Amino acid sequence: MIAEQDLIQRLADGAMIETPAQMSEGYLRELKRTLLISADTEFLGAVMHWPNLMNRRVPERFDRALLAIIQDELGHAHIDYRMLADLGEDIDALMYGREPRQFKHPYAMDMPYENFAESVVVGAFMDRAGYILLSDIFETTSYLPWRRALVKVNKEEHFHINFGVRTLRALAAGADTRPVLQRAIDWMFPMTVEWFGLPDERKTHDMQLTYRLKGKTNDTLRQIWLGQIVPLVEELGLHIPAHFDAAEGRYVLDFHLPCAFDEAEKHWHLDEPVSWDDVIRRWKGRGPWNERLVECLQSGRRSIDAMRVAA
Amino acid sequence: MSTDETVVWQALQDVQDPEFPVSIVDLGLIYGVRVTDARVDVEMTLTSMGCPCAHWIVEDVQERLGQLPGVSDVAVEVVWDPPWTRDRITAAGREALRGGGVSA
Repeated sequence: MIAEQDLIQRLADGAMIETPAQMSEGYLRELKRTLLISADTEFLGAVMHWPNLMNRRVPERFDRALLAIIQDELGHAHIDYRMLADLGEDIDALMYGREPRQFKHPYAMDMPYENFAESVVVGAFMDRAGYILLSDIFETTSYLPWRRALVKVNKEEHFHINFGVRTLRALAAGADTRPVLQRAIDWMFPMTVEWFGLPDERKTHDMQLTYRLKGKTNDTLRQIWLGQIVPLVEELGLHIPAHFDAAEGRYVLDFHLPCAFDEAEKHWHLDEPVSWDDVIRRWKGRGPWNERLVECLQSGRRSIDAMRVAA
Repeated sequence: MSTDETVVWQALQDVQDPEFPVSIVDLGLIYGVRVTDARVDVEMTLTSMGCPCAHWIVEDVQERLGQLPGVSDVAVEVVWDPPWTRDRITAAGREALRGGGVSA
């Protein structure tokens, strides 16, 4: 371990980090915190399509693709938890020893995705959000093991986005599927906007930037995402509450961020502003399917443990 | 005027495996192409019978070849004999996979 000020100077000079001996205590803490968010996001990402698959709401020609996506996400989660193990954490305790509300994935992943259109928008919107966040880490991160791991992860995320965009176009072209797709976009667009976190003005001191774990701010990353999603949805002639403001030279939302969300109805009250403190409270309370989804991931292991005890 | 088979092969270079950005030609999935007037026949395989993206790849082949001037009909036949093995991946394919962190 090295002193904080020495590390910050080295990082400013472009140093890369390979082992804990080259870190400060603060860097190790922030790295573990960031990796855990990534690991939990991949882990819970693996079950987002599961209810649709189990309830046969996925067209047969896409069910194997969704299974392949689940396999990828579990693989990515394993890579992240494995990196945490190399930093002294216990993988079993992280995956199976925590309560559902202790997981650090975005609130969006605690929502139920209940028809194929919602699986499609997960791919088109949310996997793209994940890809943009991970690409920034890949390009910037000072932690070399993560950078190496992300080469394969990001290539596979392309597949998930491909799935989303391809099926988004297909559903947009169908008279019966188009309204269902629009409803999915209506609630999942603001939800993914929120995924990028607090606005920069609320985040004055971001240690992830100081330690060069990531390179771009939340608002910059959100703009990159809007710059890809808004034109795509507009091209398909679907409604999206955002547009490019030529005078400002950036994408702007046509609603107040943050605004009130009715999680039971999956409906945003776009004209009903709330505070970021309200949002943080909602995030910390976790979403409606938090326990069910974490249980889905942990239950197999518990059954095996029970059988071992019985034997 | 019929399309040259070389042009068909070149066009197929543009079709990537949906799961990983590498050309299906470099993966060794294309067994043969035949051009008869405005019709193109493609004989190809997939890396496994359980390929999650089987129909995507076939659709992508049809779409890409359908864009070629003079082509009005594209027929794709997926065959399992001879079975695909890693030996069919070209040097360029190996390079692309390695660049993505996958050994081949």
